Amino acid sequence: MTAVTLPLNRTTRLRVPILPFALLAAALLPGLAARTVLLNEPHALLLGESCVFAIAGLSLNVLLGYAGQISLGQFAFVGVGAFTTGLVTGVHDLRLPWFAGLVAAAGAGALIAFLVGLPALRLRGLYLAVVTIAVAYAASESLFTVTRIGGGSAGKVIPPPYLGTRALSTAVDALAIGLVLLVLLLQMDVNLVRSRLGRAFQVLKSDESVAASFGVDVAKHKLIAFTLSGAIAGVAGCLDGITYGTVTGGTFDYTHSLALLVIVVLGGLGSRTGIVIAAFLTGIYPSLLIAVFGEGIRGWDQIINAGLLLVTVAFQPRGFAGAFREAAEHRRMRAGGESPLPPTRPNLPDLGRPAGMPVPRRTRPGTAVLEARDVSVRFGGLQAVDGAGLRVDRGTIVALMGPNGAGKTTMFNVISGALSADRGTVHFLGEDVSSRPPHQRAALGMGRTFQLIGLAKDQSVYENLLMAQHLAAPYGVLSALTTVGSRRWERELRTRADQTLDGLGFDRFRATAVGRLSHGQQRIVEIGCCLVTSPELVMLDEPSAGMSPAAAEDLAATLIDMRDKLDRTVLLIEHNVPLVLGTADELYVMDAGRVIANGEPMDVVQRPEVVRAYLGEVVA
Amino acid sequence: MRGPGVIQVIALGLISAGIYALFALGVVLVYRGTKVLTFAGGEIGTAALYVTAFLVTDHGLSWGVGALIAVAVAAAAGALFEFALVRRSVDADPVVTSILTVALAATILAIELNHFGGSPKQLKPPVHGGVNVDGLIVSPVQIAAIVVAALLGFGLQAFLRRTDFGLAILAAADDPTATRLVGVRVSRVRMTLWAGSFALAAIAALLVEPTVGVISPGYASRLYLGGLAAAVIGGLDSLPGAVWGATVLGLVQAFVIRYLRVDVGGLDFDVTLVLLLVALLGRSLLPQLRRRLSPPREAVA
Repeated sequence: MTAVTLPLNRTTRLRVPILPFALLAAALLPGLAARTVLLNEPHALLLGESCVFAIAGLSLNVLLGYAGQISLGQFAFVGVGAFTTGLVTGVHDLRLPWFAGLVAAAGAGALIAFLVGLPALRLRGLYLAVVTIAVAYAASESLFTVTRIGGGSAGKVIPPPYLGTRALSTAVDALAIGLVLLVLLLQMDVNLVRSRLGRAFQVLKSDESVAASFGVDVAKHKLIAFTLSGAIAGVAGCLDGITYGTVTGGTFDYTHSLALLVIVVLGGLGSRTGIVIAAFLTGIYPSLLIAVFGEGIRGWDQIINAGLLLVTVAFQPRGFAGAFREAAEHRRMRAGGESPLPPTRPNLPDLGRPAGMPVPRRTRPGTAVLEARDVSVRFGGLQAVDGAGLRVDRGTIVALMGPNGAGKTTMFNVISGALSADRGTVHFLGEDVSSRPPHQRAALGMGRTFQLIGLAKDQSVYENLLMAQHLAAPYGVLSALTTVGSRRWERELRTRADQTLDGLGFDRFRATAVGRLSHGQQRIVEIGCCLVTSPELVMLDEPSAGMSPAAAEDLAATLIDMRDKLDRTVLLIEHNVPLVLGTADELYVMDAGRVIANGEPMDVVQRPEVVRAYLGEVVA
Repeated sequence: MRGPGVIQVIALGLISAGIYALFALGVVLVYRGTKVLTFAGGEIGTAALYVTAFLVTDHGLSWGVGALIAVAVAAAAGALFEFALVRRSVDADPVVTSILTVALAATILAIELNHFGGSPKQLKPPVHGGVNVDGLIVSPVQIAAIVVAALLGFGLQAFLRRTDFGLAILAAADDPTATRLVGVRVSRVRMTLWAGSFALAAIAALLVEPTVGVISPGYASRLYLGGLAAAVIGGLDSLPGAVWGATVLGLVQAFVIRYLRVDVGGLDFDVTLVLLLVALLGRSLLPQLRRRLSPPREAVA
């Protein structure tokens, strides 16, 4: 094996620990500004409120910006945090210190989100949006009206935190606490995005089937995203409590949740900086508006915000941050000029199984890696697959051909677990995996690609290679948020990604969004993502579709490399007959849901039933 | 047991159900045609009430004429929304369009709050009196809501299945490109759907309002939640399902409020939330359950 040179100069950067400095500044600046009369109490209150919105915005961003799930009742969770703080720290309640209130607020927000999300997130679609509106109303009209919780019409009094014996009861104090929390949560957000968790969110937002093929348990990760979002919203609520001192249920209604949506979408989904800026701007500018245009303009800010939201969603869904990024990219592309040739003949790196993944049960050459028996799938009135079966032996390339609508991709989906069959079994490496979900099959060593490219297209090539290694870094949620215990895994992941990039010859495209590559290039990246965890079985769905004949020839060589150099087993759906004849050891032909022929490729393609399936009856 | 009897509770449940069903039909109509969930119906309904109040209370038109104009305005707003925003969105994804409807609702709500936030508007009911059902006076408008909801629920279903235009709606939802190729103007179909959905929201709000008489910002949104929930409970893509979902929701709410003796406000919202979660849990677990109950796979030799 040739030594792989790691492009270290690109990945090592001078790291200055900014977090401690940022925390110190956040804690001290408001006090200093207040002493030098730059900041009075009403202004501090306004900024403190913006802090609450910024943190609540970050909570919605985790859910909507990263994981792509909509909550329209996010402020209900902020309310839960505020009233929990009251119940834990209040003088007529538990009287615990403020920090306990903060922890309890995060916990309560997380708990309610978990309970609501558990049924709502198992299904695909916008159900969470409807459920969270119900949460918004049930919270503000019912739960928070209970006197014990919401304090009745006078509201709930939240005692200030104490620093020693000094009560931190001024708006300036609350602002300082808010800024410290904001800095900490921003750092946590950075950690999250760079972790397996953040990558799992991104890929499931992009395509849930692709996420599952990377080994992401989709329902579980949607639930983690919502629970995390609830916890952060709870923190925002705790801050809201100490900023105002008294909270009432009405401030956490549906209207406020909509205002939060404005901030997150205008700032830019997925952009923490954009959201924080938007939170402070929307907090400050109404007062500026009144100062400039007089009292008549009071209340117009909400109309302006909502109108902006309308226009933004329609014409710039990525918000200001997205517009900014697009402009920067345009400039870079114009400056770039050079358009490098697309590499199509990758040198596949032999990476070995990642340390974090279970080693697949080895099978002897000639024994079956995969065996599907008697599989049937019905879509309404259409029998897509009808009692089909196939067997793939270790170290071979098996091709599956058939006219459009023959049921090839359906068969693929049954094998990978994306679809559950009405009848039939799938055995993989000697184990019955018929009732296993797709992410578990991926963990066992099943890799697959998709007809329409199974990658997160808005993410870079490098990010996709990291996403594909979801299973290779088995650290938990807390490690993802703090980076404690995740660094070792991340280092291994990045090494593998670098080696794959090098091997594929995609080094200069590492930061390019996958969607900007040509179809053929995307296909190679997809194959790289599939191989980066060294799966036992590689399943390719029409890999040569949309490729030039020359590129298809390169692909044939790549397939043979997979078998001979990497010792992989390959199952592919293909229409390109020369490619199949040049690579496959065995060929199955499907028509109308059945396997009509299988055997030695050259022999199979000449059989009359196969010719008939492709060309129809010969008319005399 | 004292207090209102079972019949009265059922009547109260059906009254709510009628309103929920009308909103739910608007939700399902757009969902079936475009896979978009619309969140704007509540505010469209409230806005229609303000328009009616403007025409009837401020300018002395009769209730019927005012309501008719308001429904027409709502339908026009739906068509305009589709034409000016939905169709021109850079991201034609159903999720993005759904958020677009949230943005529309937020915009209308902000305008309502700004213009009428301080002073509730009055709107007199079109007719007085009503039918006595077990001690409950049911207004003719409420009866109309139930009848209209049931008729539309099952009538629209027949319209979708039996007429060319109805089939075009279903086809456009399944495969817009293929539908366009056989000569259907998909954009016009969609425009009609949005207009119909917004008109239904206006009708729903107009039929609930006479029994209350006072309009405030965001007024119909709380009822619209019931419509959204009913649509989800009914399976989201079935018009009769929406009517059944609304019936279940309305009845369970009425019974819980009547017989669950706790001193908590907003119980109807709690019921909505719980029913929604139960319905979603059922939908995700049913296929698994069915598979487990089905006869075991034949052993393969």
